[in-house]
Amino acid sequence: MPRIRLQNITKQFAKGSRAVDRLNLVIEDSDFVSLLGPSGCGKTTTLRMIAGLETPTEGEIFFDDKCVFSAEKGINISPDKRNVGFLFQNYALWPHMTVRRNIAFGLENMKWEKGKIESRVQEICETMRIAEYIDRYPAELSGGQQQRVAIARTLAPNPRVLLMDEPLSNLDAKLRNDMRAELKRLHLTTGATFIYVTHDQSEAMTLSSKICLMKQGVLQQYCPPLTLYGSPRNLFCADFMGNPTMNFLPCEAQEGKDGITLTTGVFRLRFNPNTPLRLEGKKQLVLGIRPEFVKIVEEEGIESRVVSSLPTGMDTVLALEAGGITLSAVAFGSVDYAMDSAVRFGFEGDRYLLFDAETTEQLAMGSLAIE
Amino acid sequence: MNKKWNRVKTFLSKPYNILLILLLVTLTYLVVLPLFSIIRDTFIVHASEKSRIKQAVGSFTLYHWIRAFNSSFSKILIWEPLWHSVYTSVLACVVAILIGGGFAWLVTRTDLLWKNGLTKLFIFPYIMPSWTLALAWRNFFKNAVVGGAPGIFTALTGITIPNWFAYGPFPIIITTGLHYAPFAYILIGGVLRNMDANLEEAAIILQTTKARMFTRITIPMVMPAVMSTIILVFSSAMSSFAVPQFLGLPVRYYVLTTEMYSTIQGTNPGVGYIIAILMIVISVGIMMVNQHMIGTRKSYATVTGKSANISLFHLKGARLPVSTIICALVLCMSLIPMISFVLQSLILTDGNYSLSNMTLDFWIGLSKGGNDYQDKAGILRNADVWKTLFNSLRLSVTCALGAGTLGFLAGYAIVRRRGSLISRTVENLTFIPYLIPSMAFSAIYLSMFSQQRAFIPSLYGTFAILALIGTIKYLPMASRSGVNSMLQLSPEIEEAGVIMGVPWIRRMTQIIIPIEKSTIVSGYLLPFVSCMRELSLFVILVTANNRVLTTLLFFYDEKGWAQYGNAINLLIIFIVLLVNFVVEKLTGASIEKGVGGK
Repeated sequence: MPRIRLQNITKQFAKGSRAVDRLNLVIEDSDFVSLLGPSGCGKTTTLRMIAGLETPTEGEIFFDDKCVFSAEKGINISPDKRNVGFLFQNYALWPHMTVRRNIAFGLENMKWEKGKIESRVQEICETMRIAEYIDRYPAELSGGQQQRVAIARTLAPNPRVLLMDEPLSNLDAKLRNDMRAELKRLHLTTGATFIYVTHDQSEAMTLSSKICLMKQGVLQQYCPPLTLYGSPRNLFCADFMGNPTMNFLPCEAQEGKDGITLTTGVFRLRFNPNTPLRLEGKKQLVLGIRPEFVKIVEEEGIESRVVSSLPTGMDTVLALEAGGITLSAVAFGSVDYAMDSAVRFGFEGDRYLLFDAETTEQLAMGSLAIE
Repeated sequence: MNKKWNRVKTFLSKPYNILLILLLVTLTYLVVLPLFSIIRDTFIVHASEKSRIKQAVGSFTLYHWIRAFNSSFSKILIWEPLWHSVYTSVLACVVAILIGGGFAWLVTRTDLLWKNGLTKLFIFPYIMPSWTLALAWRNFFKNAVVGGAPGIFTALTGITIPNWFAYGPFPIIITTGLHYAPFAYILIGGVLRNMDANLEEAAIILQTTKARMFTRITIPMVMPAVMSTIILVFSSAMSSFAVPQFLGLPVRYYVLTTEMYSTIQGTNPGVGYIIAILMIVISVGIMMVNQHMIGTRKSYATVTGKSANISLFHLKGARLPVSTIICALVLCMSLIPMISFVLQSLILTDGNYSLSNMTLDFWIGLSKGGNDYQDKAGILRNADVWKTLFNSLRLSVTCALGAGTLGFLAGYAIVRRRGSLISRTVENLTFIPYLIPSMAFSAIYLSMFSQQRAFIPSLYGTFAILALIGTIKYLPMASRSGVNSMLQLSPEIEEAGVIMGVPWIRRMTQIIIPIEKSTIVSGYLLPFVSCMRELSLFVILVTANNRVLTTLLFFYDEKGWAQYGNAINLLIIFIVLLVNFVVEKLTGASIEKGVGGK
């Protein structure tokens, strides 16, 4: 299984907009990498450039040490020679062929023996649990079944790399959950490198071994999902990951002897960075607090009013208002709070984040206390 | 009793119910009854047949059927024309699909040069009257063998054109095929353009070769479009009259329509009516085949993908040569015929294309008193021509108003009562004229209205019969678009008015009509343009009194007055193009977009 390396990949469309801007990315063998970002961030274009369906304007792409694309050297190996599998968002099943013909078509192209094709089609259909539909036309299948056929067709030739373009976005919520589990299992059994495009942060979180978060063609952060969640590099990453989203409090900073004093609205908070931090005169900062780190406490803490309470049974998402600031918080367990009732909250642990308001970069992670 | 009466009252209190009943009665009289009338006509003696059958006019006879199917004449009356019709129509389909489909592929999938201009010109023949290319062909390639002067080609090169090239099946196939090639291009090109690029990309990833991709993915995907092109071209070619008349007659090559024309105009109308019935049966058969094919297991509904930018096939070294050849072909289909009409309308003596032989006499010359072609007034100064032009315009406006209004009201009433028996019946009735080939339809009307019927006097030779047949023949066009647009308009919009007590007339004029404005306009325009260039529907119904431009062209052509014929033809083309241009500017809808809608 190969290691895929993108070097300075840029894609400029005719109208002058840059879909992808100087992207550097190394995808290790057998990784499950998600390309994540809002629509129009260049993730699909990146995937299509790896497949060879789209031609980059600049840069180089390597599969292991073999160069498959280089704008400089004029190398561009066609998609059919890259040995990749591609799963399309709309499945792209050929409507005039039965399931069997759809799956066998690629194998015939690769000059497999007849018997081998037959047994492979049978085998993959059983794996994907579509054996009973093998002689149907795509139009006679449900969305979920079409999806399985598309996966079967893509996997049949045993591609070294599997590229997927939002494959679950056309399925309903329950099926999507089932398919997620199935994809993760497939990744394990095939051992192939998976590259997966999605705009759904929870899908990326749950599936991938690494997430590549993009915005307007520029790579924002490339790391394992939990790192991205816990220590986002900038405000965009912090905001994009997590649901409910992180609380952002603009504040003014003052460096003191024991930590930094932050003033936001009527509150004064003390921030203790986990690693030494020099503010070097920066005053305008943004404090980032994940909802689960707004702890409901019995006494002490800040008194607040419950603006909304949305229990799911497993946890309850709260909106709390105190001193003109609204924070979202998560209380775990089956609890509910009356609207407009008073609760107290405090801070605990050292996962609070400080961002530079101007550059939006993350400055430090640390603990927080009420002053 | 009271209950029943209340029911009737409730039923009639709904305006759309009244509309449906009126339509049912009218259409039964104008569409269904004539079908019986024409069947009856195949069993009776007509005035012109008195001497050969030796029976009283109007008495029962089996003569026509026997003569048509069981006599030594059946071969030349029925079987030969039938075979000629089928043969030329099938091959015209092949030509249309190869040229139109090939052009569609070149435009959508390759880096052909000058795409924009070429596609505009390629559509051109379809806007023009169907005989345009046939007339141009004759202008270019006519030979002296069957009489008359040789055409432009011989004049330029000195090469004599053999008969098989100048007349008969070969030019009929080519000109009909080329005339309908734009249709193939519109349908097939539409599929190629909208086809999900992912379907082909998926094949590329799975290492499909170019040839296999073309035969196994692309061709099957466009098959439905090809099939509908075949159905349309075949039935249009079968019912085409002008082309085989202009190109087949000189060598006595008859097809069903021309045979029908000559029998109805000649001494045996009964056989003509049998041919009309035969054509209706064939046309209905084709429709049934079409219906049958639609209901297959494979659904070709295109799920739109997100990437439309499929890479174009590079013609490389062949790019310029291929583009040039295509360009030449397109010019032959569009501009060069026009040039031939201009030339032909200017020359004094046939076959001599030198400048000294040219004159504007046929356009603006003054009459020298006589009525032969050398001393007739030029068409722009000829009172007869102006009268005919005025008649044409009056007829087109009448038919457009009639078909458009009737179609819109029918659409409204059909949709409001959708699912009921009466609604379905009326919907089917409005569609029947579409199934009947133009000439067969006019044969029906000839048989129906050439004598007094109850309170309706004989309409033969009147403006009314032309207006009537035009309105009914173009009704399917208008009612289809009426039904489609009413389906998209939710009934709540009208119901909001009902709740507030707005009367029906006001609901129509203040709510429905303003919303449906653009559809109504196109419902009027399509019949107008079709009527302007219609020949086969009117040709057996006109006399000197109710002549229209197209039949005047036909009349001049029969007389051999080529200059006047060509000039009139240019006049018709000019009007059609002008209307088309105005329509496009006013509504943004174009004829070529409209032709796809059934």
